[in-house]
Amino acid sequence: MKVMIVEDEMLLAMELESEVEAAGHSVVGVAASSGQAADIVRDAPPEFAFVDINLQDGPTGINVGRMLAEKRIPYVFVSGNIKKLPDDFAGAIGAIEKPYTINGMANALAYISALVQGDDSMPPPASLVLAQDAPRPVRN
Amino acid sequence: MQEYDQRRTDARDAGQRLVARHVREDPFAAAFKATRMPMIVTDPTQADNPIIFCNAAFEKLTGYSSVEVVGRNCRFLQGGDTNPETVARIRSAIDAGSDIAVDILNYRKNGQSFWNALFLSPVRDDNDKIVYFFASQLDFTNVKSREAELAAARHQAEEAVAEATRNLRAALATRTLLVHEVDHRVKNNLLTMASIVKMQARLTKDEGQRSALMSVLNRIEAISTVQRKLFTTDDVARFDIADFARELATDLVGAIKRDDIHLTLDLTPVYVPAVKASPLSLIVNELVGDAVRRGLSDGGGEIHILVKRLNGHFLIRVEDTSEPVEPDETSAELGRMLLEASARQVEARIERTQAGRRTIVDVTLLVESEKDVPY
Ligand SMILES: Cc1cc2nc3c(=O)[nH]c(=O)nc-3n(C[C@H](O)[C@H](O)[C@H](O)COP(=O)(O)O)c2cc1C
Repeated sequence: MKVMIVEDEMLLAMELESEVEAAGHSVVGVAASSGQAADIVRDAPPEFAFVDINLQDGPTGINVGRMLAEKRIPYVFVSGNIKKLPDDFAGAIGAIEKPYTINGMANALAYISALVQGDDSMPPPASLVLAQDAPRPVRN
Repeated sequence: MQEYDQRRTDARDAGQRLVARHVREDPFAAAFKATRMPMIVTDPTQADNPIIFCNAAFEKLTGYSSVEVVGRNCRFLQGGDTNPETVARIRSAIDAGSDIAVDILNYRKNGQSFWNALFLSPVRDDNDKIVYFFASQLDFTNVKSREAELAAARHQAEEAVAEATRNLRAALATRTLLVHEVDHRVKNNLLTMASIVKMQARLTKDEGQRSALMSVLNRIEAISTVQRKLFTTDDVARFDIADFARELATDLVGAIKRDDIHLTLDLTPVYVPAVKASPLSLIVNELVGDAVRRGLSDGGGEIHILVKRLNGHFLIRVEDTSEPVEPDETSAELGRMLLEASARQVEARIERTQAGRRTIVDVTLLVESEKDVPY
């Protein structure tokens, strides 16, 4: 699976890249801003993406997500505060909350790559909050 | 002018007729004259319903003498700030021949205004014909101003409360913002620490070094998970140890991908105060980690985790059935130290029983019961 990483903390991005590669996938690009993400999607379209909410150009991860959803590229958010996400998760499969563990990320990655290949038989791991299961804030 | 004089004479005569009808010692007339309540009588049979009688209290209230008021309609008490709607209400009550009680702004002879609680009522003869109007006036300026003061005070108090609430809310918003900012940084820093350790572990060629680094990483991750879970529940002050155990165990067992290790869970939410979250999570982390390590031996194994409350205490039990393995001495020592320190920190009792392939570790601990009511 060709993966794009959208993350403005380079150390975290690098480490995630190694974990993705260790799981047998390839990383087509690391973007630190929404502009870079758009460039990667244009030049080397990924099959899947990890997207942080806060990027170098502000909380633009949500826009990146919407762009990916428009292009039908599956993705998950990776963020320290998934409560900031809109109710519809901006079209994401789900979200992985930081700080994730090595096991949590490995399990999420296994689930996602199965899903991207059309296999939805695996149970979702605890580390991945699926969009449809996300707790909705009570509106009154 | 002449006409007005005539009317005054008529009015005075009518007043005298009214009084004459009562004998000198008539208690009614005496009371009417002597009462401290200002009162007047008007004669609606005469043009413009003039006053035909007023008592001393009325003179005192208005500053006009009886001679000055008799023959005139009472509206001379009204002035610039008198509410015309109130006047209209009086007019229609009089036209309808009914009682009315109203508050109206009136003016004394010296021009000073006062609030008049006016009560007026028609007086009917035996044929039900209105022969007089009777009215009493009461100066309630003081009451009115006290009312205004009270209202102002109440308004001020409400303003003060609203202001305080606004300030508090703003302070709270700032604090929440700060907490979120700090939380965000702590999470990122924990993940950065973990990333550095992971990188080092990947770079090293030495298997011993690698496993030492992974063991450090394992504890950093346990603490990281606590931090994450503390803030995903909106209530920073409480932490569900069962939820932590579930995620830790399923992630761990999920990642090792061994079909021969079976995990079963029996968990009920147990909320602990935030200060106990890290030591308790480290305890759970050590116990589950140990059980999984034993299960990694050839035969695989069964792991069962139970978290439940039992009258004032709560119990974490990690039970496994697997071939006992000889653990690495250093890592076993670290595990023991962490367990011991964490247990001492939260005053937990740890009991280990081993029989053949079965190992049971019970951690019991006192919890304040009011703090672990589920949401
Ligand atoms: C018995 C009686 C007492 C009245 N006393 C007062 C009074 O104390 N103050 C006042 O402003 N109007 C008083 N009025 C009302 C006025 O005399 C008058 O009826 C009112 O202004 C409405 O009529 P207008 O619109 O023709 O002025 C009294 C009326 C009657 C019949």
